Amino acid sequence: MGTVHAKESNMSRNINESSNNEKENFKENNPSSHFHEKMNLLERKKGQAVDLHLKARVDRIHVDGLIRTKDDIIKAQVTELFKAQDFYDIIIHAYKVREKLQGLGCFGNIGIYIDTSHGPHATPEGVEVTFMVNEMRRLTGGISTMVGNNEGSVIVQAKAPNLFGRGERLQMEYSYGSKSSTNISISIVKPFMGSSRHKILTGSVFNTSNRFPWSGFSQCDKGLLIDLAFNPDGTGILKHNLQYEATYREIISSKHMSFRVREQCGPNLKSALRHICSIDKRDSLIFPTTGSLVQFSTEVAGLGGDIGFVKNELTVQTNWTPHEYATFQMGFQSGLLRGISNDMKINIADQFFLGGPLNLRGFDMRGCGPRIDGNSLGGNAYWALALHLYTPLPFRPGRHSFGDLFKLHGFINGGNVSNFTLKFANDYKENMKIFKEDVRCAVGGGIAMKFGNIARVELNLVMPLLFVRNDVLQQFQFGIGLQYL
Amino acid sequence: MPYPLLADSITFELEAQEPWPQLITLYQPYEVEQILLPDNANCLAVQAFLKMCGLDFQIEPRSNAEYMSPSGRVVPFIKCGQFLVSDFDSIVTFIGNKGTSLSDHLSANCKADMRAYMSLVNNIFINAELYICWVDETTLNEVTKIRHGSVYPWPLNHYLNWQKRKEVIKKLNVLGWYNKTIEEVCKEVQNCCTALSERLEGSDYFSGEKTPNELDALVFGHIFTIITTPLPGNKLANIVQSYPLLVHLCKRIETSIFSLQAIGVK
Repeated sequence: MGTVHAKESNMSRNINESSNNEKENFKENNPSSHFHEKMNLLERKKGQAVDLHLKARVDRIHVDGLIRTKDDIIKAQVTELFKAQDFYDIIIHAYKVREKLQGLGCFGNIGIYIDTSHGPHATPEGVEVTFMVNEMRRLTGGISTMVGNNEGSVIVQAKAPNLFGRGERLQMEYSYGSKSSTNISISIVKPFMGSSRHKILTGSVFNTSNRFPWSGFSQCDKGLLIDLAFNPDGTGILKHNLQYEATYREIISSKHMSFRVREQCGPNLKSALRHICSIDKRDSLIFPTTGSLVQFSTEVAGLGGDIGFVKNELTVQTNWTPHEYATFQMGFQSGLLRGISNDMKINIADQFFLGGPLNLRGFDMRGCGPRIDGNSLGGNAYWALALHLYTPLPFRPGRHSFGDLFKLHGFINGGNVSNFTLKFANDYKENMKIFKEDVRCAVGGGIAMKFGNIARVELNLVMPLLFVRNDVLQQFQFGIGLQYL
Repeated sequence: MPYPLLADSITFELEAQEPWPQLITLYQPYEVEQILLPDNANCLAVQAFLKMCGLDFQIEPRSNAEYMSPSGRVVPFIKCGQFLVSDFDSIVTFIGNKGTSLSDHLSANCKADMRAYMSLVNNIFINAELYICWVDETTLNEVTKIRHGSVYPWPLNHYLNWQKRKEVIKKLNVLGWYNKTIEEVCKEVQNCCTALSERLEGSDYFSGEKTPNELDALVFGHIFTIITTPLPGNKLANIVQSYPLLVHLCKRIETSIFSLQAIGVK
């Protein structure tokens, strides 16, 4: 992160010059304490409180340290700074611009330097803002570890940022998981910054292999994904992703697999269009205290290839904190999968599965729903609902530091996954069957921990309340992953 | 710890004592559009063997039969209750464990001979068929690619053809067949046919007895497929046609077990 540099002598001169009446004006018009708080934060470094709400105008913006990066994309990022009305505004906008520049993925450290403007074209309350950037090297790389869904993996990655000077980058990633899943992907990213709507186009080729012992097969995918993201880093606004995916998937039989799964072995080609729209107003990814997330995705497969279906999925999460020590969270997920024609198949890899320590707790991974000979077959419709109550650790050890990574939670979750045929005629009862028959439910409690602000670890003791004879139950569960219910 | 293997053999043994629990289902690729020469020969051999044993079975064509196979890319395979068995030899052993065998009454000497000829057939015919299908350019482009890719959508068919060809070539390379010319391959087949023909001299079946056994089934599978499958050049068919004894054996088996009028053999 960069820092705000302020030249003390100039600053105070500036204030002395033009402030006396301004200051009074401001105090009358705008006595919001919130502003003062923020200002104090900004000013803490200087050690003395200075009122920054004085009229100021940005005369010039300099960006220092550009070598390869083209001017036009930088211009598009910084122009909003010219709209600033007073000095406080300038600082806020400068921060935003710095975030945007950082978002380009071309620069390492970015510093902001604000000075009064000099020279023949300087206006009386003019300032010049200088961004000092450090372009990244042509090639960077690293090794890191990641937690996926109940699996840890090692990632080796290499990145060539800012290839042609407009934020394009080429990245390569190889990961190897503890459950012998592998993933290789090469992607090329091209941001479009110019217009008001921020878009990112990503094209990637990937090769992944995963094992699904709960369903008795392993899957090997080779594919191509083209993704166009609108407003990708906007928080609290509607984001869209338009994707096209073409994947050659091979379902590989394991030694002991049910014949129903074996029948689906072999190669198939999925060619699908996907639209994901989401709005996330939560204040944190893992332990949010307020705000909601709504995500809706639609996938249509069958533009070529031999796999054809329409898949809709909905994810909702909402949080409510009535008291400092209690946060309620409700999570809901549901999905529906339909075939589109008799010539196009739906593979077991496309089905919905339910169960797992971060999914429907109390059940093993893919532990509920239709199964045969111990292999989970999945269903074409599912829903799952979870209600959590989070509290901080009792007696708050390690408050404001290590202790905040942990929370205790109690929960009740339920859901169902099954194969059902949607009837469009007035058969309300038939369609509601999934919410009434064979509903699974479990209550429990445990400790949850956040891991690097993206992953979540849970240790739970669960008591299943409603289940079906075939289900695989687990009373003690340890889960680690990125997504949770 | 040899537990899995032990468990396998024990279950095989236990299963063997039970009478036929369920219908046998034979899984194979689609005969009309998809199947290739080597697979077809194997499928036919298994069918002939099962018929010779007087066992009822059902043929279930599947486009992904190759991938469903329990032992990796070997067709056909049979499903009998919970058991999946692939490959001609394993199927013969499995059926034998169940108490139905065509060669139990033979002397040890005859059995050893039979095994030797079976491995000869397996080595020569299968490799020659693979060579014709995947290495010979004309057959590859005019027949193999079209048939093998017929059940997959574009562009997957091209990829899978390429992948399969690579595999076959790798296998043939290991066995020293890839570098042979087509003439050398024909020569091998000719030698094999001569050996078989000499063995058959003067008797109805290879065992010299009145009833056929697994060697007959295997030879029938290959010879019949080679004769009846139209391929560009028809090189193998021409060679096999010049051995009337083998062709007659084929006809005999065909009429006795595959036609409706046939009186049940055995």
